[in-house]
Amino acid sequence: MVALKSHNMDDPEDWHKASPYKMKGWEMKFIAILRQVPENEARLKVEGGKVGLNGVTMVLDGMDEWGVEEVIRLKEAHGGEAVVVALGPERSEEAIRTALAMGADRAVHLVSEGYIDPITQAQTLAETVLEEAPTLVFTGGQQADWDSQALGPALAEALGWPSVTWTTKVELEGQTHAKAKHDLDEGQEIVRVSLPAVFTSQQGLNEPRYPTLPGIMKAKKKEIRKIPLSVSSKVEVLEQTIQERSRLNKVIDGTKDPVAAANELVKLLHEEAKVI
Amino acid sequence: MILVVLDHDTTRLRKGALEAVSRARQLAALGAIAGLVVGENTSAVAEEARKYVPTVYTAEVGGYTPERWAAAAYAAAQKSGAQVVVAPSSRQSRTWTARLALKMGAALLEDTLETATDGSKITATRYSFLNRVTEKQAASLPVVFTAKPNTTPVAEPQGDGMIEALTVEQPAAQVEVLERMSEQKKGVSLSEATVVVTGGRGLGSPEAFAGVEALANSLGGAVGATRAVVDAGWRPYGEQVGQTGKTVQPSAYIALAVSGAVQHQAGMNKSKYIVAVNKDAEAPIFKVADYGIVGDVHQVLPAMLEAAKKLKD
Ligand SMILES: Cc1cc2nc3c(=O)[nH]c(=O)nc-3n(C[C@H](O)[C@H](O)[C@H](O)COP(=O)(O)OP(=O)(O)OC[C@H]3O[C@@H](n4cnc5c(N)ncnc54)[C@H](O)[C@@H]3O)c2cc1C
Ligand SMILES: Nc1ncnc2c1ncn2[C@@H]1O[C@H](COP(=O)(O)O)[C@@H](O)[C@H]1O
Repeated sequence: MVALKSHNMDDPEDWHKASPYKMKGWEMKFIAILRQVPENEARLKVEGGKVGLNGVTMVLDGMDEWGVEEVIRLKEAHGGEAVVVALGPERSEEAIRTALAMGADRAVHLVSEGYIDPITQAQTLAETVLEEAPTLVFTGGQQADWDSQALGPALAEALGWPSVTWTTKVELEGQTHAKAKHDLDEGQEIVRVSLPAVFTSQQGLNEPRYPTLPGIMKAKKKEIRKIPLSVSSKVEVLEQTIQERSRLNKVIDGTKDPVAAANELVKLLHEEAKVI
Repeated sequence: MILVVLDHDTTRLRKGALEAVSRARQLAALGAIAGLVVGENTSAVAEEARKYVPTVYTAEVGGYTPERWAAAAYAAAQKSGAQVVVAPSSRQSRTWTARLALKMGAALLEDTLETATDGSKITATRYSFLNRVTEKQAASLPVVFTAKPNTTPVAEPQGDGMIEALTVEQPAAQVEVLERMSEQKKGVSLSEATVVVTGGRGLGSPEAFAGVEALANSLGGAVGATRAVVDAGWRPYGEQVGQTGKTVQPSAYIALAVSGAVQHQAGMNKSKYIVAVNKDAEAPIFKVADYGIVGDVHQVLPAMLEAAKKLKD
């Protein structure tokens, strides 16, 4: 684990003193962590007890896309750099190129094949993040493949930083603090958080831009620093199954006599399904 | 030793806490159970908690922050020597347990459906790939896991335990809450409801949700909403079902004028029965529906409400 002591909110410069990698001057740097996942509409298949991703279209995770868009906007508004960091197999480079084509400046790719649990992902990413010494970091609110919500808060813990989950709005208050709005289990909250901090994304944060053709051309020349790793997961996936319930698909035409259709439906729910 | 972090509303334990106690009891091979009541006014809740677990730790740390909860759970785990920590699954707990797992050097198993142990490992099942895949995971101790709501019977009271107050070193405050817009809901909670009636953008206006509410009430259920509806400001965010909202698994999920986008399905595709009303026979929701009506929701919903009322009489 990376030992970076928690910083003190009353002394905004405390963190910079504590960091072994001092920020150069007051230059801003915004990092988005990204992952490549199956496209939402992809048909998944299980082969040999595991989800097989061969032939499945892989894309930048939709929730990470909000994070990428946000760091690009922050950089456009405040200057500095928008950097993307990925931990994943070689093929993740495609998702990295998407982020670079959207407007991120450069990328760091920690190349590692196979499943890594989110806690180990966080520990691994923490070292790179610490070295980069950013103003703030974004991760996706939930991973579209592993349905995990842990990466953001675990990364913050590894760094000794605060975290804000399910963020729908961020505003910088100078270099040392940010104001953010985020979703709770019920309702929302507006918080002031000391920087650096980790934020996780939520729908409503922004509308991601599409990469433009010139953007795609430029992305080809942008730096992707590759760091090969071999990381062992704390969690082992033993077996995966797809158990889609077979549905009854009893559909009634209610266009001519909606009242009769409604009566029939309620009767089916009461007498056949016995759920009301 | 197993530690259960007991969710409460400062006066009573929540249902999820009692489900988490049941999960801990299923792991009896790992030894005794201790509970932790963390937050404000912990003593009243601790009195209730000691009916369920032999040792109750209290940590009076003030209002919720993930850092405080993780610090309190870490202190209680150290004090009790627990190698496994269990908490009911929520957005909140999935944040602080991630921090706790790091502090303990533990593996994290999120939102589990079932858990078991052979004495040295925990195995768990959970959903992945937007709720479409069921996977079995295993991790060596120490392990922190969260238990998905409504997956485990609630625990029965058992004996009367002792209460011990913990002093927890408070982490430096890094997050200051400026404003909280809480959505206090009347009636059944969405995650626990056995019937959910969800309205989509096709209802056309916030006013049309009066009918959705009436149907939910008459069936003893809760109201749900799609992201499109929440984004339009028609309904509060707490009612959103889907990938970026809540995951529900009721006996009956009734989707009214909902198209059934994949991201919406991620929050409801495990429901026992899915019912859809949509004017478009090609809407994706019909592919996952057990029962449905192709028709205008403004005509069908009032008639359903009438029929449901007659059932009750
Ligand atoms: C990363 C990501 C995460 C997302 N997370 C979520 C999420 O958690 N939850 C969620 O819901 N969405 C989520 N979405 C959005 C999702 O993709 C859809 O846009 C949304 O679910 C659509 O909501 P809807 O069904 O209410 O609206 P629409 O798609 O507009 O559907 C309205 C339906 O109403 C029908 N209709 C119209 N008029 C009538 C009438 N008079 N009678 C009967 N039927 C009628 C129409 O035929 C149509 O099928 C997410 C999207 C992304 C990219
Ligand atoms: N939710 C998951 N948890 C663990 N492993 C997974 C999960 N989803 C997929 N995998 C597997 O992890 C491996 C990762 O493959 P790759 O990332 O292509 O090296 C594949 O065998 C996947 O089937």
